[in-house]
Parts: sequence; structure tokens; C-alpha cells
Amino acid sequence: MRTSPLKDSLAAAGAVGRERHGVEIASHFGDVQAECGAVRDAAALTDFSFVRAFSLPENPGMDILDALLAGNVPKIRFGRVLHTFLADPEGRLAADCFVANNDQEFIFLCESILPDAELDALLATAGVAPVAKDLSANHVVLSLDGFRSWEIVKKIFGADVIGLPYLSIENYQFAGAPVRFIRAGKTSEFGYLLIAPASIAAGLFDTLRAEVAERGGRLAGADAHDALRLEGRFFNIFREGERVRDPLPLGLQWMIDFEKEKFLGRDAILQRRTAGLKQKVIGLAAAEGCRELTTGAPIFSAGRPVGEVVTHGLSHVLNRPLALGLFPVELAYAGLEFRVGSPDGAVIRSISMPPIMPRSLTVKLDEM
Amino acid sequence: MPITTGASAPAAMDQIILRRREVIDTFKQELIRRLNLPYQPEDLHEDVSLLGSGLGLDSLDALEIVLCVETCFKIKIPDENVSVLRSINTVVDFVLEQRAQNGGPA
Repeated sequence: MRTSPLKDSLAAAGAVGRERHGVEIASHFGDVQAECGAVRDAAALTDFSFVRAFSLPENPGMDILDALLAGNVPKIRFGRVLHTFLADPEGRLAADCFVANNDQEFIFLCESILPDAELDALLATAGVAPVAKDLSANHVVLSLDGFRSWEIVKKIFGADVIGLPYLSIENYQFAGAPVRFIRAGKTSEFGYLLIAPASIAAGLFDTLRAEVAERGGRLAGADAHDALRLEGRFFNIFREGERVRDPLPLGLQWMIDFEKEKFLGRDAILQRRTAGLKQKVIGLAAAEGCRELTTGAPIFSAGRPVGEVVTHGLSHVLNRPLALGLFPVELAYAGLEFRVGSPDGAVIRSISMPPIMPRSLTVKLDEM
Repeated sequence: MPITTGASAPAAMDQIILRRREVIDTFKQELIRRLNLPYQPEDLHEDVSLLGSGLGLDSLDALEIVLCVETCFKIKIPDENVSVLRSINTVVDFVLEQRAQNGGPA
């Protein structure tokens, strides 16, 4: 099982770990709701070293990644980041990806639902391995998220950092070592990914943790990020992605360049697109304490089964259970009522997503 | 927010879907046309984020969306109400709420 270079630091901080697709991750630090609250109100630091990170030289990296991924890699401008996905040859989701055009290299980040060996085999079909440096072996990926997280990166890396637009990459130094810095959170609040060599990982982690604590924040685990992604309607490959696997019902068409002639799984995805969308994933809200809202639970309308719950969680902001459900397109509209679990089960309501207004949207960093 | 509104009766559901679909279809078609988006209307999920992540539209595009709503539905989105522009669905909610306040069907 792959473990984080920060495993000991996380364990000392009280991390409760678990295995996910062959990688040991920190699930939580004892209080998931407090971790969500830290992101919404202050800042939280999370070890994202479960993400596979690669560096490819610009040439031939650009063409290799373009042949692999659903998005258009040559269109990524210098210093910018593309959010797209990796599919298998059947057009089923394998990884949620960021690709960054970073000077002479492309940085390729994968949140994968495949074990490392299977992901490597998929990447090998496009010839990634001979040219890519696998940074996962000797780097950490840290995620700093939250309403006040910009204050921390400004203090550590300088004022320029807050001018970076969403989905961009820049290079900074920490303790004399290079840190690749990406603005790309998935919580709806300000978010930054820091890719740093293992040699400075503990020092960077301790520094960020102290700054987070100073602002009333805390360490967070993967469980909090699952809840925050659902609340902000960010795609989560580890939840609804793994359950559904088909990018079209999940609404990920925006990650696809349909005019590209080649990417892994293209033919299968285009065939399904041409056949017409049959199902769609939409947001659901339940009354507080709804016990029937479990992943896989059937959803009923007028006594007949019409859909199923594909992920669920508790919204910190709304203090009520939220979920995503897979429905036939004819019923995939907000504002409807259904029953969950059984024809007489608890009432759930389809809702517009995202149901929250993140505090970070009220901050104009360029005026700071 | 009450969780039960009586919207589970088949006839009521049909009415809600009909009203919502009309606004969604109009808005998507106009959005694609005005912003020259490389998608078909059925490619745009109603929960897709309009700004930042998702469609990745910028502040100029946001202005175009505001104009789009004004032209298509004769409804003005107040400058300070950025929360309306979170997704297609939140725009549609706003349009339906405004129509209801103006005496039309919500």
C-alpha cells in the first residue's frame, strides 16, 4: 500500500487513516464537521499525497497527454491549468485530472480510482512512462483550503500569489527548494495545491499547520473534502464518479473536447452521446436526520423506483443531509419530491446545485 | 426550508418540469449562441458551474449572462447578486422566483 511521506506527522496529529484504492489516506482528525467548518470560516490543511503527480517535458509531453485525456492539452496557455479526466478504453472514468502548463514541463495530477499498477498500465497505452517523472515517489501534495487561506499563502510566498487566477500554476521556493503552486481548490472556497519535494515536506507542513491554527483553522481529512465537494457540487471521482463511471450522466461534458480526434475512451463516449443521454445525476436534500439516505438506496416516485442515491453527506453550512441521485432525464429536474429507501420512505427533494453561497465569493483578492 | 411541498403528485411534478424545462431550454440555447460555446444544449448539465470551475467563464461572460437573462426573460439580475450566477440551475431558480413574484407561474 502506498503511504504519504507525511504519514508520521499525520499520525502524530491524530489522523484516522484508511485504505482507498491501494493508498493510505487520512480520513479525518476526529471531527469532520469541525474540519468542514474550518474551510468555510478560516483555513484547513490536508495531505493530498494520494494524488499521483507526474512531470513531463513539454515535448513530447503535450502530445502524449493530449492523446490520453478528454480535454484539449495544446490549448492550455502557459501558466494555466486544465481540469479534465482520464477514461479507460470503454469510456469509463479512471481519474479526475489537472494538467498544468508550467514553463518547460507539463504537470499532470491524477485523483484515480484505479490502484497504482492499473493506472500505470492505462498511462502506458499512451507512452507516459518513458518520458514522465513520477513525482509521487519523492514529493508531497498539500491542499490548503479556506476562506482565509489566501492570507497564509500571501504571507509565505509573497503578495504576487493572490493575483493568480483560479486554475493557474506558479513556481515558488520554500527553504531553498522548489514548490509548484497551483490555485485549484474543490471546496468552493479559496484553494491551493502545493507540490513539494519530500526533503522539505515536514517543514512546509509544520509551517502551514501553524499558520492555519493561528487563524482558527485545523488539519482536515478526506472525509471533510468529500462533504465539501458535495456541498459545492464539485465532481468527486471517489464518490459519484466511482459509482456511475460514465462521464455523461455526471455532467462532465465540459471536461471534454468533442472535436478532438483522439483520446482514451473517445469512441465509446461519443457513441453514448450520439445515442442520447438517458440518465442524469442531480442534487437532493433531505430532512435533518434522514436515515434512508444511503449510497445505493432506491428512489421512488408515485410508488415506483425511478433512481438511486449515488453519494450523500452532511452539509456543514445547511446542517442537513445532501445527496446526488441518478435519475432518468425526464425526471432530472430541481424542485420535485421523491421517496427514498422504499415507496413510503422519507421525503427527499431535488434541488439546484450548488445550494450554498461560498464566503470566498464575497472576497475580491485583487482589491486586497 | 420545508421538505414537503406536495410536489410529489404526478400532475404537480409534470407542471414543475414543464415550467422549468421551458426556462432551461431557452437559457441554454441563448447561452451557447451568445458565448459561442462548443456544446449542444444537452451537453450542458444544469448544475455545471458557470464561473471559475466548470464552464470557466470570466467576468465579461458574466455580464453577457446577465444581458441574456434580461433579453430572454425581461428580468434584471441585480449587480450585487453574484450568487445567481453559480450554475444554470441557480439562474433558472432566479427567473422562476421573479416570475412568481410578478404574478406569473413559478
